[in-house]
Amino acid sequence: MLEDVTKRYGRRRGAVAALDRVSLSFAAGSFTAVLGVSGSGKSTLLQCAAGLERPSAGTVRLCGTELTGLSHRRQAVLRRRRVGFVFQDLNLLPELTVAENIALPLRLDHRPAGRAEIELAAARVGLGGDQLRRRPAELSGGQQQRVAIARALITGPEVIFADEPTGALDPHTAVGVLRLLRGAADGTTVVIVTHDPQVTRFCDRAVFLHDGRVDRVLDDPEPAAVARLLHELGERGL
Amino acid sequence: MRSWMLAGIRRAPGPLIGTVVASAAAAALTVAALSVAVADTSVPAGRLAGASVVVAGDTNLVVTVGHGEDARQSLPLPAYPGVPAALAGQLARLPGVAAATGESGFPGGVVRPGEVDLIAVTAKPGVSPGALAGRVRAALHGGRGYTIATGPARGDVADLNAAVERSDGQILGAALIPPIVTISLFVLAATTGLAVNLRRRRFALLRTVGATRGQVRRAILAELAVCGVVGGALGWLPGVALGGLGVHALAAHQMLPAGSAAWRSPWLLLAACGVSVIVAVLSGQIAARRAGRTSPVQALRETNAEGKWPHPVRILLGLGAAGGAGTLMAFTFGQKNPAGQLALALPLLLASMVAVALLGPLLVALVAWLARPFRVVGGPSARLALAAIAAQPRRTASAVIPVALAVALVGSVYFADTSIAHAAAGQARSTVTADRVVSGSGLGPGALRQVQALPGVHAAAGVAPVTVAAADPDLEQVYGEALAGGPLNRVLDLGVTSGSLSALRPGQIAVSSMEAGAGTMGVHVGSRVTVYLPDGTPYRATVSAVYARSLASGDVLLPAAAVAGHTGAGPAFAQILVSGGTAGALTAGHPGWHVASRAAANAAAERAATQNGFANNLILGLVAALAAVALLNTLAVATLERRRTLRLLGRVGATRGQVAAAFGWHVLFVTVTGVAAGAAAGAVTLVAVARAATGTWVPFIPAAPAAGLVIAVAALAGAAVMIPFYAMSRREPALAPG
Repeated sequence: MLEDVTKRYGRRRGAVAALDRVSLSFAAGSFTAVLGVSGSGKSTLLQCAAGLERPSAGTVRLCGTELTGLSHRRQAVLRRRRVGFVFQDLNLLPELTVAENIALPLRLDHRPAGRAEIELAAARVGLGGDQLRRRPAELSGGQQQRVAIARALITGPEVIFADEPTGALDPHTAVGVLRLLRGAADGTTVVIVTHDPQVTRFCDRAVFLHDGRVDRVLDDPEPAAVARLLHELGERGL
Repeated sequence: MRSWMLAGIRRAPGPLIGTVVASAAAAALTVAALSVAVADTSVPAGRLAGASVVVAGDTNLVVTVGHGEDARQSLPLPAYPGVPAALAGQLARLPGVAAATGESGFPGGVVRPGEVDLIAVTAKPGVSPGALAGRVRAALHGGRGYTIATGPARGDVADLNAAVERSDGQILGAALIPPIVTISLFVLAATTGLAVNLRRRRFALLRTVGATRGQVRRAILAELAVCGVVGGALGWLPGVALGGLGVHALAAHQMLPAGSAAWRSPWLLLAACGVSVIVAVLSGQIAARRAGRTSPVQALRETNAEGKWPHPVRILLGLGAAGGAGTLMAFTFGQKNPAGQLALALPLLLASMVAVALLGPLLVALVAWLARPFRVVGGPSARLALAAIAAQPRRTASAVIPVALAVALVGSVYFADTSIAHAAAGQARSTVTADRVVSGSGLGPGALRQVQALPGVHAAAGVAPVTVAAADPDLEQVYGEALAGGPLNRVLDLGVTSGSLSALRPGQIAVSSMEAGAGTMGVHVGSRVTVYLPDGTPYRATVSAVYARSLASGDVLLPAAAVAGHTGAGPAFAQILVSGGTAGALTAGHPGWHVASRAAANAAAERAATQNGFANNLILGLVAALAAVALLNTLAVATLERRRTLRLLGRVGATRGQVAAAFGWHVLFVTVTGVAAGAAAGAVTLVAVARAATGTWVPFIPAAPAAGLVIAVAALAGAAVMIPFYAMSRREPALAPG
């Protein structure tokens, strides 16, 4: 939940407001897409909501916890226990195997990561067997994103933040990955930042950002309508 | 150890190889120095092999200097104090003694009548040497003032030089360890800093997945500890081999007893790993802390955006170090006392190197700004290289810093040596003002009297080198000369600053201004002072002169009469300096004498003075080896990390030649900036040393070695960048040759 969040980059007169007094809340278990053209502030929104970036003003509550006053250490612990992340790329540590990457949040939390647990998490995203022993570089892009989803899910998080999770994938693979995410994350709140209207097929809600402000919110969005709106926003920006 | 922490080092060790290599070098050098410091330097008993117990006068000088815990200091003596010959008869009557005989004629032996060098006692069958030694000690009222040796210790009594040489070589070995560790820390800090910095995104990703700052920091330190263990293991055997060579070389230069063997022990492996782990982990503290603080958002950004400018704290610390160096310099030059100035030289060098290392990024940005005209002259490749440098001054600085450190370290050590040798040669060239110099055999006091009696001779002086022990303020060996005859001021020009040196009578002593200063002996003309002659006899004297030109003659001048009989050799002079008379009259009837003109004698003295000390070369070699490892290491790792740039340039249509030229411009920039910064940092120290040791502001920097240093640094830098470049470009289809 974000209240009156402003994020400025730079200082004094040259400052750019990436987010301008944004207030948003994501209902538990909802699947929300945040859309906007490049530079609309959507990635900043995600970083602030997830506590990766401190807002210049306003408050952020994550899983009922006020983030602004939290120490770095407590933020880290909160992230690994209750939040999952999926990024466009650079999701995985290249020197760890698939299984080790999936188990990483548990290991960081000093929790045992049983073989069965890892295999179960992998199976939920359609990975298994020999693939678990491979290194990320030996997998296809779609498979890598599925590993990232498995890693995000293994702690049973309350929220998953995804930043352009399908940005580097072909449309067919992208749909497969999203379907997996939607299916596997049932009951978990998911926030996806994207500029791809097709993503909204799986979403309950679509939030449109423009110039750091919430421009519009659509419930049960249709990809065609979303594409039209995005096009309008793009024209407005020119 | 958790698997995620060390997976990087097991499966992607590339960036850490530099750290392993550098810590292996540190471990090898430490092991070598350690195996010299605790070398087995026992010498064979030789002539005394048949004796069960050997009794000599105390061969260690023990003096109480000042007050406190360290007040009692001891120093091995180069000459036998001697024992009464009659003691042999007394010892022979002890129960269990088969025979006790006084023996003389050892090197450094006594020449006084009624005394022998030592007494060899042989036991009756069935009496153990230990038991016999106990009886001898009891008979000598506890043995105070005597050295009573059995077993291997007899060797040290048979060859007094062994103890002196041992203390020289082992002190050198032990003294080398702290500078090795200090320089290794510098070297490794640059290498590990780079290795960590290059993987910032990896650590940032760990943070987004929920790793705390502490977990990231500990993961890095764990990696470094493993690097240290591997480096220590790799450095162990080369270190043992190097130590063996070192002991051999030191023994060849009379800095260890002949036949010494380096310490070889499994403990050295532990020492190697210990040192390299400590050095690696310490050197990574700052880098690990910084990586832990990296904002997780950086993992989300496409570009590897590290901060362009150094942290303000780094700049402040750098300015602090520069200020510290400035203050030290002002303080050094303000010091009247040369020894005090020399003592500040090393801190001065360290402070200026720290300043260069911390302010490196600012320096790179400044030089990049100054180098803008080259964008036009050098074409697209130079433009490309300068743009990369200006965009990432911190990354470029990590390549510049090891170059600067190499130049500063090697330059200041080597040119401090040349400056002192140059000044010594200058003094040697003009110290002797006598017309002729007689050398050869049979130059005793009688010969001096004969020369003085020759017609036309108006001044003649005998000169012999002598080593005394003095508290300056610690008990140490002081080199000087024993003089007889006169008037001395007509045969020698020593630059007397106070008092008079026309003659040196028993009860008098002359001291160099270097040794007379407040931080050393702390004396002036008229002071009473005690020095200890080679056999340990105290010589209490009044300072009659203080002189400035001590580099050729040594730091103390004693009357030969006071020294005679206490040096372990006959009263012979090395040279007799003569003014007046003729060469023919000098040689007549003395076939063993060799007469040289003043010019020839001074030229020979000058040659002797310019010969580099072996110890200096050893230190220089160590410093150069560490500096070269750092340079190669850091530059090669930094170059391998530019693969992405290389690939991109190939894809957008740059030819192999153009990319090579861009990398070449980069090396040129790094070398020029590094050499300039290193020369500045080294020059500060060098001027301080020159001022202290030679009294001039201008250090002596011969052109050929200076050019050699620059060329060697440039060649190493070029190799460290261009060899990885060609290896990488071979694997890029767009850039492959042909």
